[in-house]
Amino acid sequence: MGFSSIYAVSGSDIVYETFDGDAVVLDLASGRYFGFSDSGSCVWEALIAHVSPASLVGRDCGSGVIAADDLDAFIARLGEYGLLSPAAEVAPTALSPELAARLAAARDGLKIDMHDELADLVMVDPIHDVDEPAGWPAVRQ
Amino acid sequence: MQRVTLDGLADYAREVLAACEAGAGNFPLQSRVELPGLSIDVYSDHGELAAALGHGMATANDAGRRRPARIFLAHPGIGSVPTPAQWGEALFNPQAFSERLEADGLRGHYFHDLRYWQFYDVEKRLGVQLMLSADGCPPWEFGAPLRCFLHWEYAARGMRLTHAGTLGAGGRGVLVAGAGGAGKSGTVAAGLLAGLESVGDDYVLVEFDGDRSVARPLFTTLKQDHTGFDRLGLASRLPDPGPLNWQGKYQFRVQDLSPGGVAEKLDIVALMVPRISSEAKSAITPISRRDALMALAPSGIAQMPGERESGFRFFGELTRRLPCFRLALGRRGEEIAETIAAFLDGGKP
Repeated sequence: MGFSSIYAVSGSDIVYETFDGDAVVLDLASGRYFGFSDSGSCVWEALIAHVSPASLVGRDCGSGVIAADDLDAFIARLGEYGLLSPAAEVAPTALSPELAARLAAARDGLKIDMHDELADLVMVDPIHDVDEPAGWPAVRQ
Repeated sequence: MQRVTLDGLADYAREVLAACEAGAGNFPLQSRVELPGLSIDVYSDHGELAAALGHGMATANDAGRRRPARIFLAHPGIGSVPTPAQWGEALFNPQAFSERLEADGLRGHYFHDLRYWQFYDVEKRLGVQLMLSADGCPPWEFGAPLRCFLHWEYAARGMRLTHAGTLGAGGRGVLVAGAGGAGKSGTVAAGLLAGLESVGDDYVLVEFDGDRSVARPLFTTLKQDHTGFDRLGLASRLPDPGPLNWQGKYQFRVQDLSPGGVAEKLDIVALMVPRISSEAKSAITPISRRDALMALAPSGIAQMPGERESGFRFFGELTRRLPCFRLALGRRGEEIAETIAAFLDGGKP
C-alpha cells in the first residue's frame, strides 16, 4: 500500500452501497460490515474509482485538508481489512467535482468502523470450529 | 456412512432430490401451504414439525396467482429415503458450499450436528429437507418452518425474507428492524394488543411494487421471553401459553393475541430501528440510512444461507426507499403502540 499505487476493490466478495454520501461495505466472505465517516466515504469512493492517493493529499476536507499521514493510515487500514488492493495497469482518474465538493463539506476526519458481531454466523466453519458439547452456534474460542 | 465434500455436493443434492421425488407416494402426510405467490405441497411424516406447518404458517388470499412448489420433509424411516450423509474431512466453508450449489442451479444448507440437509432446485421449485428422524431439525425450525426454502424461492424472484417486525394500520405499516434483543417482538406484541395490525414479528416477505415497498406475512408465530410476557400482561390473553421454546421464550400466534391482527399486506412507509430506553415516553427521531442498513441487513443476511450479495443489494434499495428512524422505546407497551399509531396516522414522528 502507499501513494504510488492506484487501487481497486479487493475482489467480488466486497460489495458496497452509498446513502446520502455515507458508504457501507460488506465483505461477503467474512461477514464483516464497515461504516465510514463522511470524509472516509468520499475517499473510499475516490480510491475505488482509481483516483490516485497522491492527488488527494492537500485536498480541502472539512475545515482542514487531507494530510498525507492520515491518508496513508486510512489506506493501510482498508488494506488490512481486505477491502482495497493495488490495481495493476490501471490509469488514474481525476477526482470528480461532485466528490471534491462533498469532501470539502465533510464534517469528520477519515474513519472506518468495523462491525463483526455476526461474522461468526457467516464465516466460522460450523463443523470444525464449534465448541463441544454445546454445538453450533457456540464457537470454540 | 456416505461422506460428502464440495466435489460431490451437487451430485449428492441431485440424488437426494430424485430419491424423494420418486418416492413421493410413501410419505404419510401431504399438506398444502398457501403463501403469497406460492403454493407448496409439503410431503412429510407425522410429528411436531408437521404440526408446526399446520399452525405456524400464514395463509395468503391471492388464489390463481401462485406458482406451485413441492418440498419433502424426509427421513430414512420413509420408503427408500436415504440415510443423511455426513460432511467429509474437508473444511466446511458456508460461502463455498453455497457457491458450489448455485453453479448447478441449486441452493442448500447443512447443519452438521444433526446431519441435516436442505436442498432446493430453483428451476423445478423442488426441495428436500433430509433429517435423521421426523423431527430431526434444529429447534428454531419449529418457529419458522420451511424458512430457507422460502428464502431461496422468493430471492429468485427478487423478493426477500426480511428479518424485521411489522406494525400497521389501514394498510400502511412500518418495519421494525434490529438485532435480537433490540425490542422487535415486544414492540409488535404491544402494537397488536393496542389494535394495530402486523404481518409478522421476525421474518416477513418484502417486495418492491413500483415505488411501493410491500410486506406480506409468511409466519404467524410471535415470541416473548418471560419478562416481556409479564410486562405486556399477556397472561390475560394467553392463560396457557405452552412450554418455552429453545430460546426460553413463549411462542404463540398473532391470532391468539389479536384475532384480526394478521394483515394481508402492508405498504411500508418507514423503517424503524428500536432501542430499549429508560425513558417514560417513546421517541421517534431520524437516523442515517447507513445506520438503518447496518441494523437491517446483517442479521437477515447472516441467518440465511446463500444469496448474500443479492440480500445486501435488496436491503440497500429498501433502505434507500424508506425514511429511517430510531425508535427509542418507552417503558410501557401501550405508550409505544400509541406512538407508532400516531406516526402512522400522521406519517411523521
